[in-house]
Amino acid sequence: MSADASDLSLVRRVQRGDKGAFDALVLKYQHKLVKLVMRYVRNPAEAEDIAQEAFIKAYRALPQFRGDSAFYTWLYRIAINTAKNAVVSRDRSPVEYDLDRNNNDESYDMQGRMKDSETPEGLVLTDEIRSTVNAAIDALPEDLRTAIVLRELEGLSYEEIAAAMDCPVGTVRSRIFRAREAIDRRLREVFEGGLGRAEELG
Amino acid sequence: MNEELDSQLSAMFDDELLPAECELLARRLSRDEHLKARWGRYAIVGAVIRAERGVRLNAPLAGRVNAVLLAEPALAAHTAPRDRNHARLRWWRPLAGAAVAAGVATVSILWLRTQAPLPGAPLVTQVTTPGQATLPTPAASGQGDSYVVPRPKPAAAVVPSTELANYVVAHSMFSNPVARRNLLSAFMTSESPAAGTEELQSDVKAIAH
Repeated sequence: MSADASDLSLVRRVQRGDKGAFDALVLKYQHKLVKLVMRYVRNPAEAEDIAQEAFIKAYRALPQFRGDSAFYTWLYRIAINTAKNAVVSRDRSPVEYDLDRNNNDESYDMQGRMKDSETPEGLVLTDEIRSTVNAAIDALPEDLRTAIVLRELEGLSYEEIAAAMDCPVGTVRSRIFRAREAIDRRLREVFEGGLGRAEELG
Repeated sequence: MNEELDSQLSAMFDDELLPAECELLARRLSRDEHLKARWGRYAIVGAVIRAERGVRLNAPLAGRVNAVLLAEPALAAHTAPRDRNHARLRWWRPLAGAAVAAGVATVSILWLRTQAPLPGAPLVTQVTTPGQATLPTPAASGQGDSYVVPRPKPAAAVVPSTELANYVVAHSMFSNPVARRNLLSAFMTSESPAAGTEELQSDVKAIAH
């Protein structure tokens, strides 16, 4: 199995002009990227803005991506640089912050940063998603739960999981798929029509 | 939904699918919105298991990125004109090369023609005398290093005699042999002693005879 073949196949499609393939890459890495950026900025909305900028920069730079490194690594480097630059430019313009403070409106700063899915409905939905997924994982049979947790939490390959669980690689693949399917069934109920519904609510 | 396809999608998400299968599935994934939504939910499941606190799972980040990129041309559209230009250049390249080669050849021929003697003209060697060939050294002239190039004046003394000799030889059929020989001798003697080299004399005589 060649590492990064999945991402690379999507990247090659984007490089040939298929924007839909880039959409798949964004869906796959958006949470990881926001989490990464939040090491530099605490505010989730700001982290999302930076992550969005990083994705757009990555898209524009994709013609130069030759695949020497993993797409994931390359994307992370772009995100880190974007986050660092955002922090530097924010620190260079403290006037805006002072003006906010001088307005003597304590809610102003909070409202300014609060947007999109940070609305109460959005926050509730995030919590609901989290609790639903956790409940679905708890309800999984032991072998499925172990397989999906080893994969997602520990980042083990199928071969490593097979060694840990003393079963064939094909069985690992099947267990992880079945675990995801079981969780996804519950998740779709929350979304009432899939991820698009959640985005509308956001 | 095809279970095998979903199983492949799950394996692809984990980067555990064969590259050839990835190619095929990537094509379908980029077009099939239901498959893409499932792919997105797999990412959410991962984020929850990793307990990525603070990350909003319902954030419309993908939609926002997509909206921005909609206004931009596809990457292939960026590269296509360049490829077309390259193709155009490739078409012109042999012609341009041939034109340059022809130009160089023409210039070379013209230059050689200016250097070659005229058709029918006798071949007379133009020899510079040692005195003419010697350049004054800075020490001899009593000057320091200078970037001024001295004038090539001595050459003018040789050329008229040679040209006249050539002229006499070229028109030899219209002149008396004795008179012609006397004239040539007069040319030789009229030049400076240094200019009357044996080589020049022999050349002129050989042609005159």
